[in-house]
Amino acid sequence: MDLSELERDDTGRCRLNSPVPAVCRKEPCALGVDEAGRGPVLGPMVYAICYCPLSRLTDLEALKVADSKTLSESERDRLFAKMEEDGDFVGWALDVLSPNLISTSMLGRVKYNLNSLSHDTAVGLVQYALDQGVNVAQVFVDTVGLPETYQKRLQQCFPNIEVTVKAKADALYPVVSAASICAKVARDQVVKNWQFVEKLQDLDIDYGSGYPNDPKTKAWLRKHVEPIFGFPQFVRFSWRTAQSILEKEAEVVTWEDSPTEDQAGLGRITSYFNEGPRTRPHLYHRYFQERGLEPATTL
Amino acid sequence: MESSDGEDVMKHRVHLRPISLRDADPVTLHLLPCEVPVNRSAPVERFFTPAIRQGPDGLEVSFRGRSLRGEEVEVPLDLVGYVMVMEEKGEVLGKHNFSKGSKNEEELVEPPEALERDFDRSIGASASFSRFTIWGLETIPGPDAKVRAALTWPSLAEAIHAPVPED
Repeated sequence: MDLSELERDDTGRCRLNSPVPAVCRKEPCALGVDEAGRGPVLGPMVYAICYCPLSRLTDLEALKVADSKTLSESERDRLFAKMEEDGDFVGWALDVLSPNLISTSMLGRVKYNLNSLSHDTAVGLVQYALDQGVNVAQVFVDTVGLPETYQKRLQQCFPNIEVTVKAKADALYPVVSAASICAKVARDQVVKNWQFVEKLQDLDIDYGSGYPNDPKTKAWLRKHVEPIFGFPQFVRFSWRTAQSILEKEAEVVTWEDSPTEDQAGLGRITSYFNEGPRTRPHLYHRYFQERGLEPATTL
Repeated sequence: MESSDGEDVMKHRVHLRPISLRDADPVTLHLLPCEVPVNRSAPVERFFTPAIRQGPDGLEVSFRGRSLRGEEVEVPLDLVGYVMVMEEKGEVLGKHNFSKGSKNEEELVEPPEALERDFDRSIGASASFSRFTIWGLETIPGPDAKVRAALTWPSLAEAIHAPVPED
């Protein structure tokens, strides 16, 4: 898997795909969608699709693909290599979402939650397969959130395709198992070869599994917290674990859209009846306020 | 309009050390759309600068997991930007070390009145700049940015403070 494009710049997202097998353009295909690295506080989330003609599903099954979580890393690598060998009837594509993209999406002015990001990425990949000319007849997806709403959403996007959203789809349908292997292989490779954009001093690459409950991962986060910048972009800032470490060990940052104390005070209705001390701050002329100018009596 | 009615306004007399302007080295500045209410150095060169990308609509970076869009702002041609720092309180009252400056400068800064503690402050430039980068939260600050408007103040200030010819 050639992820060099991502290694050059891992601040955004990167799409990667196999050549489309000729038979997948002619015959109706089953397409599986799965993801890897949804939970970890470190590294990218990878979405993958894998497809093959309905007539060749038994051949895919014969590879003994299984849910990537039940496979060892070497088994996954071996199976991915086998799928590459079977490139005459199996195709795949993936979308690598960098931790920076995840952070900035989830922490945007308009919050873009991980479920929506996941759904849109899945839809994007299915559309990508269609755009490449894959004759997609059936789509199988491992659920993210409620299967019913996800199914409805996907079905609306692709009215001519039979969509099945199911929990544990990665164990039930071989195309989804194959997609889960692609996703996991890619995620492992990206994490292993992660190019930190930051110039870090005594970088420790022993960050454990990357899952928030892994003591090694937590220790790594604590070690690499920077009081002003927080963490390297390898970390998903939007994760609870990352946020609570920042609250304790980094400086407070107030954004222009952060709720201010004033607004919080306005919430209490009794505040209007409470006379309180009248400490109106001295305001300068609007001309200066609009320009953020104040006399420099102190710096 | 807002007359100075408040006793809550702290009055100070600020003295500028002109020599510090001459010694100020150029510096790269970033103005972020957030406040970090602390005064400490930050490893900008290691964490921030390498992460800046040229995007389709200006510069791109992220800070604390939030997306920023930036653009360069030039200091108007007839002006120079300085990063000013407050000097130690004691320094105002202590011996002024202006020996390096020329006689002229010494005369310039010598206050006509005696210096008072808590009233007189001394500031100096720690760096200079002719351009800086302003960052907006998710969108480029654009022509309406406060700081762009602020740069129009010096010319207005000059106009309103210029002596009016009597005739």
